[in-house]
Amino acid sequence: MNAIEMSNNGYLLLFHTSDWWKNLGREELEKYVAQSNEWIGQLMTSGKASGGQGLARSGAVISSKNGRSVTDGPFAESKEVVGGYLLLNVETFEEAVAIAKTAPNLGFGSKVEVRPLTDTCPAQARLEELKREEELAPA
Amino acid sequence: MNTQNQNGYMLIFRGNDWHKGLSPEEMQNVSERWMAWFKGLLEEGKAVAGNPLAPEGKIVSGKSGRVVADGPFAESKEAVGGYFLLNVDSMDEAVAIAQMCPGLPHGAKVEVRPVLAECPLSGEAVPDAQLAGAAA
Repeated sequence: MNAIEMSNNGYLLLFHTSDWWKNLGREELEKYVAQSNEWIGQLMTSGKASGGQGLARSGAVISSKNGRSVTDGPFAESKEVVGGYLLLNVETFEEAVAIAKTAPNLGFGSKVEVRPLTDTCPAQARLEELKREEELAPA
Repeated sequence: MNTQNQNGYMLIFRGNDWHKGLSPEEMQNVSERWMAWFKGLLEEGKAVAGNPLAPEGKIVSGKSGRVVADGPFAESKEAVGGYFLLNVDSMDEAVAIAQMCPGLPHGAKVEVRPVLAECPLSGEAVPDAQLAGAAA
């Protein structure tokens, strides 16, 4: 597996998809695969994408204290799952969204989630927010 | 469940509301343990990448991405809060690592997914023969 350069800047695209390709014929499928490979290839070559992979439609969900609950995939047919991700190396949210809009799988019903990478975990961010509120609160 | 995968595994952390109801000290504690967990995995070479995600985002959909909605939903149990990329060979090992997530006792969930060699959009959208090869 290619090691991916660690970065706290940039954006993550998450591709949410059902298994719509099951309804495509062989030719359509090959055309789509070629299109998406080209899309990714261009983004990687230009340096706008720093990595990305597809995810198998199977897996497990861990939950509850100590992770006792382990629910196996595969996921139910036509359920929307994260089918893959792409790490973008662009400067602005607008640019990341503009790239997301060109994803070839959108025409088939997939959705693309665009999220900024950060180095602060959500709990830490919330903590800092609380501290700021405390400082601003009247004595 | 001991499937092998040469391309590694992705941990997707779900739930962006698990820290609600925790005291600042508890939040600090979980946050520090999560960071230490990640650093340890990096040092062992079991993780190769990971990031928290900022809470704001957009969801693009429709032909040519003409619909751009705010996302993810606030306080959702499914919202993606971050990810790790693991460099381990078996689902068992990936699950064992996921079970150590410090957010679990507070309601976070961890999704464990095998990474494919195929492109991120096609994912499993490949002819059956190729798919069989990738899954081997």
